[in-house]
Amino acid sequence: MGLSDLFKKKTEETNADSAAEEKKSSSHYLTGKEVREIAKSNQKEMRRLEKEKNRKLPPSAYTSQMKNPENILEVENLHSYFFTDQGVVKAVNGVSFDIPLNSTVGVVGESGCGKSVTSMSIMRLLQGPSGQIVEGSIRFKTVDYMRDKNGKFIPEYETDENGDVIYEEVKDKAGRTKKDKNGEPLRRPKQAKDENGLGLFKKEEVVYDIAKMPISEMYRLRGRQMAMVFQEPMTSLNPVFTIGNQLDEVTLLHVPGATKEFAKERSIQMLNMVGIAMAERVYASYPHELSGGMRQRIMIAMALAGEPRLIIADEPTTALDVTIQAQILELFNDLKKRINGSILLITHDLGVIAEMADYVVVMYAGRIIEKGTASEIFHNPCHPYTQGLQKSKPTMKSSDDRLFNIPGNVPNPVDMPDYCYFKERCGKCVKQCSGKYPEMVQLSPTHFVACHLYQPRNE
Amino acid sequence: MFKYILKRVGISILILLGVSFVLYTLLRCMPTDFVEAKIIALNTSGATVTEEFKQQMYKTYGLDGTIVQGYFNWLGNFCHLDFGKSFINQREVLSEVFDPGRLGTSFIVAAVATVFEFLIAIPLGITAATHQYSIRDYLVTVLVLIGISLPSFFFGQLLKDIFANKLQWFPVGQMKTAGVTMTGFEKFGDYLWHMFLPVLTVTILSIGSRMRMTRTNMLEVLNADYIRTARAKGLSERSVIYKHAFRNTLIPLVTSLAGLIPSLFSGAMITESVFDLEGIGKYALNAMTQGDIPVIMTYNMFLAALSVLGMLLSDLMYGVVDPRVKLA
Repeated sequence: MGLSDLFKKKTEETNADSAAEEKKSSSHYLTGKEVREIAKSNQKEMRRLEKEKNRKLPPSAYTSQMKNPENILEVENLHSYFFTDQGVVKAVNGVSFDIPLNSTVGVVGESGCGKSVTSMSIMRLLQGPSGQIVEGSIRFKTVDYMRDKNGKFIPEYETDENGDVIYEEVKDKAGRTKKDKNGEPLRRPKQAKDENGLGLFKKEEVVYDIAKMPISEMYRLRGRQMAMVFQEPMTSLNPVFTIGNQLDEVTLLHVPGATKEFAKERSIQMLNMVGIAMAERVYASYPHELSGGMRQRIMIAMALAGEPRLIIADEPTTALDVTIQAQILELFNDLKKRINGSILLITHDLGVIAEMADYVVVMYAGRIIEKGTASEIFHNPCHPYTQGLQKSKPTMKSSDDRLFNIPGNVPNPVDMPDYCYFKERCGKCVKQCSGKYPEMVQLSPTHFVACHLYQPRNE
Repeated sequence: MFKYILKRVGISILILLGVSFVLYTLLRCMPTDFVEAKIIALNTSGATVTEEFKQQMYKTYGLDGTIVQGYFNWLGNFCHLDFGKSFINQREVLSEVFDPGRLGTSFIVAAVATVFEFLIAIPLGITAATHQYSIRDYLVTVLVLIGISLPSFFFGQLLKDIFANKLQWFPVGQMKTAGVTMTGFEKFGDYLWHMFLPVLTVTILSIGSRMRMTRTNMLEVLNADYIRTARAKGLSERSVIYKHAFRNTLIPLVTSLAGLIPSLFSGAMITESVFDLEGIGKYALNAMTQGDIPVIMTYNMFLAALSVLGMLLSDLMYGVVDPRVKLA
């Protein structure tokens, strides 16, 4: 019996099941008492988490070490919940994955499976007080500016061939050399400059645990170390500021010593880079004067302007037509090489994943059900959901007149059952599926799957 | 732009014509009739009033014809810039309504109160919104709700009783100390001292709605996607709120500012009466109760014209603060 047959058979069964289920769920509504209890416990938990988010901590409390120095980001056992009046929605429920340096990790899954919440958690942009990271750690390796005791950046000085610092004479505005009390010319160490004439500052590698970081410290990371491209280009730009103003902001914020002129020059350069013709004109226009595709490219330019080492792209090409999509993906690939960074690509377009990703993470109902290299996921999908997902992709070769779809829907995120969340929709269920939620099974050094079918038998 | 303004002014004239007709009709339908009141007064003083004399009186005051006749009569005079004479004291209406002392008193109280209203309500609204559902939010909301709910005659009287009568920190009424000649800074200080309680009353009563408006707008803006973008850029929370969010919250606020123009000149009727200030509000209230039609017509038409002007200005302001709005 083929896979699709199995699914078909299952569809009939689940239809009957779900009808009964519906009856049950409609008869079970929340009573006033239950609602109050939920609200009370939510309130308590949200207060605690908000307090934790806003308290001041010494940097040592949120710096950490990477498990594997080859990685730029390690997400471990991440739990992000939404405290709603219907109950706690476990949008991300124990997600662990790594992003190696110079790689693209794709996250796939259907709508509502927690892809975007995972990315928002990494940026710490969950909308509080209802959305909170409850547990887990997100370790992120940054190359940050070193700071002295006053929180100022430490300049990098030019050295001669012996490694001694070069000194220069201090000049006043008129170009005359300043003298000290004894009449000797005043000297100071010469700050090294980059090709744009901006002073360089010392940098160091620091690993932050983002999940534990106070929210007020996040400005160190956002924009400069990691940037995000959002999926709604139509509403993600501020309507009352010009494109130029919004783009310049990033440069002025993240490049020490940047002047307005320099920021403008760079913004226009960025606009050209993302393939916008008439960059000068777009620079001076307001968001509402541009099309969706243009705005999406501006969002991308904005994310790239801070030269981050990690770019989180949440469905970056959904609003774009196919030709622009190809250009943008090409741009991402170029950029990854140029800035020596990594990309976390969130999409439900398997074609994009196949084109871009080195590693793929498949999510379902807030959990990772399968992860591995792109080739493992595409050539040897193991979880029935991944298999179903791939079959749902329209192809030119397909002879079936109807496109395959996985029966049923994602389960209600409040009150998740303690068995495989995919059980109700799965055509390959075995006896153990009614038991506990399956553990991750390692199939190859890089390939993991959470399914009872691959569980080693004890007998 | 010029064409747009011209068009709007043209429409405004039509609106004002309509307003004047409605106003005149309403005034003529009022139960208080100036002539009748006068006759009753004569009767009670013992004089006998003949029917002929009564008709004569109605004729003198131009109240003998039908409402429509009376209206066109008024309109004709108005077009000749003849605003008539006050029924009460037979002085020219124009100099009565636009008496600089009266209008000035009302304007200064309203203007100072408005400035304070904005200075207090906007920061309160912003903190309430940025700390939504916190103790701060609830406290601010409850306090301003009390402010909205207090009637001005009650709250004003309360303040006057406590601070003027009992504690005697502030004068009871009027805008300046009578019988004392003061100059320069001293005069100014005296003015402020007299103004304090009325301004306080008006401010506290009006903060509420402005604060609620700021809070609602701010909350809406803070949930917008572009605020998330601003945070994702690495901006500090301060500049997210005061640059990106506030600029958007400003759109409805600035436009409501233009709508305030009539309230600057209308005078606070009840507050002025409570504190015994010689303002336009108190004057108009008095004219109203006595049925002084020429005064009320002129006063109300003045406010109507200011309202129309305010509306035009607020539309123009939209074009200034919101780049998405283009006026044509």
